[in-house]
Amino acid sequence: MSILLLLYLDIMIAIGFYLYVRNNKRLIGFQLGMNICVAMGGMVALFMGVLLIQQFPFHFTWITIISTLVGMVAGAFYGILFDYQTFVTGLTNGVVIGLMSPMIGTIIDMPIVFNWFIHGFFILLLFTIIISIKRA
Amino acid sequence: MTTVYRMFKKKHLLFDDRFTKTMCMAITMISSFAFALYLELLLPPEQRFFYILPILVGLIIGWRFSAIIKAPATLNGIYNGTLGGTMGMMLGAVLQDPALCNIPIVSETMIATNMYSLAIFTACLHALICHFIRYSFKA
Repeated sequence: MSILLLLYLDIMIAIGFYLYVRNNKRLIGFQLGMNICVAMGGMVALFMGVLLIQQFPFHFTWITIISTLVGMVAGAFYGILFDYQTFVTGLTNGVVIGLMSPMIGTIIDMPIVFNWFIHGFFILLLFTIIISIKRA
Repeated sequence: MTTVYRMFKKKHLLFDDRFTKTMCMAITMISSFAFALYLELLLPPEQRFFYILPILVGLIIGWRFSAIIKAPATLNGIYNGTLGGTMGMMLGAVLQDPALCNIPIVSETMIATNMYSLAIFTACLHALICHFIRYSFKA
């Protein structure tokens, strides 16, 4: 149950950050935009795969397909704010990480520690991106 | 993929370095991933040589695509091709033997269904990304 709550929280954070990036679109050049779409598409695909495979461990194929599609859509939405090339980059990166992430979720043996670690990493990433948007 | 390669070769004077680098990265990663997955699923796992073959295929794909322009793109293409080849090989190994990843699938028919559905899904993704890249040449 708490895993689904964490997943809901992550999706809400990603949507809120998308709106923030869309409001500050004028400040961001294409270089920072490419980095933002790679990072956010990859993190959304990673969370989707890892948390869903911990919650439903019997549906490997469906979870792989769902996390790939969600990562692809997230990378594409973040990328299409800026350019066509950032769109293609975010889409490809989301696809590859989404295909890989359920395997990571199945082989870890301390899930709670791993969940805390990737959430801390995600928050660090968000702060880094926000600081570099403010400086741009 | 060969169509995309020929279009790249024909029009490589028309666009700048950044465009070529982005498109090389996208097409190299997904192509080497798909080819390594197919090779790992199709070839018999007994011979020792076949462990290296998907990585070599990824490396050659990356090298050929990025040899169109100068040295930094070659590095990028080789890196992405090898990465995609390794990942595709890993996914193929897990699909053939789900006990590697503690996935609770026991019956043979479930394994075969998983293999077919994920291979078809990867083929659809490959076609989608190839379509996006070909569309970007026209736009």
